[in-house]
Amino acid sequence: MNKNKSVHVLGIRHINDTTYVLKFDRNERDFIPGQHVILGIMGENNAREYSVYSGEQDDYFEILVKVVKEGDVSKRLKLLRPGSEVEMNGPLGFFTLNMGYISKKKHVFIATGTGIAPFRSFVKSNPELNYNILHGVRFAGEAYDHDDYRPDRITLCTTGDKQGDFHGRVTDYLMQQTVDADAEYYLCGNVNMIHEAFDILKEKGVSSDQMHAEVYF
Amino acid sequence: MKYHLITLGCQMNMSDSERVRTIIETQTGYQWTDNEEEANMVGILACSVRQKAIDKVYSRIQKWNKWKNRKSLITFISGCILPNDMEKFLKLFDIVFRMSELESLPGMIKQYGIVTPASLQPDLQTMPKNESINKFWKVTPHYSSDFEAFVPIQNGCDKFCTFCAVPYTRGREVSRPSAEIVGEVQRLVEEGYKSITLLGQNVNSYGLDKKGEEISFPDLLRKIGEMGNAISKEFWVYFTSPHPRDMTEEVIEVISQYDCLAKQIHIPIQSGDDKVLIRMNRKHNVETYRKIIHSIWKHLPQATIFTDIIVGFTGETDEQFENTRRVMEEFKYNMAYIAQYSPRPGATSSRWADDIPLEIKKIRYHQLSDDLRKVSSVHNREMINKTYRVLVTGHDRKAGYFSALTEGKIVTRFASTDEQLIGRFVDLEITSSTDFSIEGKMVLMKEIA
Repeated sequence: MNKNKSVHVLGIRHINDTTYVLKFDRNERDFIPGQHVILGIMGENNAREYSVYSGEQDDYFEILVKVVKEGDVSKRLKLLRPGSEVEMNGPLGFFTLNMGYISKKKHVFIATGTGIAPFRSFVKSNPELNYNILHGVRFAGEAYDHDDYRPDRITLCTTGDKQGDFHGRVTDYLMQQTVDADAEYYLCGNVNMIHEAFDILKEKGVSSDQMHAEVYF
Repeated sequence: MKYHLITLGCQMNMSDSERVRTIIETQTGYQWTDNEEEANMVGILACSVRQKAIDKVYSRIQKWNKWKNRKSLITFISGCILPNDMEKFLKLFDIVFRMSELESLPGMIKQYGIVTPASLQPDLQTMPKNESINKFWKVTPHYSSDFEAFVPIQNGCDKFCTFCAVPYTRGREVSRPSAEIVGEVQRLVEEGYKSITLLGQNVNSYGLDKKGEEISFPDLLRKIGEMGNAISKEFWVYFTSPHPRDMTEEVIEVISQYDCLAKQIHIPIQSGDDKVLIRMNRKHNVETYRKIIHSIWKHLPQATIFTDIIVGFTGETDEQFENTRRVMEEFKYNMAYIAQYSPRPGATSSRWADDIPLEIKKIRYHQLSDDLRKVSSVHNREMINKTYRVLVTGHDRKAGYFSALTEGKIVTRFASTDEQLIGRFVDLEITSSTDFSIEGKMVLMKEIA
């Protein structure tokens, strides 16, 4: 394994005014879809955790970053240019698929905002995956790279406009649905959504064993 | 020339301090003194788990820097230090070093009064670099006991629990070479040590950072077990602390197969509520934890089970706390280290409102302690009239009695004045019990070693 923590930026793709995809060297590091990296400006104190957005077969890493008002790192990373150096630790983490279930079980991915990042990595890495994505955002313009998924497998829930497939929060949508009690459920995003979805799924007969959560703090 | 070292925090720091003492005493000529005021060099191994511990560092260095007005004094600091504190300590202490730089400490001391150039390198202000921790592990520690020892097997943490700052102070998980660990354990056993604890922040994730290059934690235990079978000495090997995420059935099975692997499992649950566990970023839920307990009951029915619990974590509702009370009743712990939540500087949760009033935390703490008392007292009562092997650890508070620990780490006392027993195994017939301890009488002296 390459232990060098310095990696080079390969490019930045802006999805909208506040959200971008940062692409950088993978340096031959092992990676399991769903894991995150800790990324920061070289030699500085600040680093943040970001789920890997790219697939296992890609020879680079991508992360999906939303600039947050009070955030420092997300703003600084946005200013980087190809060739800039960043410091990376990882990949780390346990929010990964059970490979024994890939083709055997249905997978339901529930995300808010950039919480969709690990799910894109799951889908890109496992073409045979039986999945459905429920993605909650405020506006339809935040439907990050939805073209990468089969249209019948992704549902966009918007609260700020009516341009999505469903007007309301992901948890409102979930409440109205019949759920598959045998599926594996992956929840990623803000903690309030995860707690609420957790309760709904439990009430609908899903065992906590089948629920996996990655909170974005 | 004399030196004094203050060690704050956990067993990991205590273990580190044993290596620091070796380096100072063998390579710098300084001799230990218990009296801080007569020392010519004073140091601290800091702990960042609680603000209180860091406050102690600031208060100490202010005092020491005043002493410099009347005598020549070198001050140094190491241990678990958050980047922000590290920057401040560079200005307050003469020497600031990471534990991985320990072998350079004698050179730094020679440059008394000069902040070490290594410590000023910018990379020290970010994540600790763990590669050189391997050199640190090669230092033979100055053990503080001649029958109990701690053996570090791993450093750092990759779990990022939101209430903890360890990943930011000790960096990523790095496993110590297994040959070194087994070698150190064997040497200790040959020297007569009876209780050996394998230490790490997430001890059972041992080897995961070096897949293909290093053995797994169950295999490490197996090697130690085989060594124990081959050597004609009696000893108990413990490990702390494991994370439920990496606690496999294989670990428990291996423990059941070797006499020297102690039948005591410390498995922190932290909360009995799934939503609190999510907020804590614990990577396990109550159901996965339940499977571990059932596996322990199946393979190690005689084992004692200890845990750690935090009450009053940010946002914890009455209902969520009640769920923790339920697991206390269900898992019937022999011992639980219960802490009232307080934000730990540098940890993710320190950015959130500490919104459970102190009074509520105290009530929850006492309720849960009472629950623990109920379950542990049942275990202890069941030990009465049975015989247990214990390791005598020292004098009891009650005159004419010694303190001892069973293999399951149940606190025991018995009447004796034979000083030779300290550090040895004896057999006790248990005669009475309290909520958290037992008392017995010696039935037979059976020393194998």
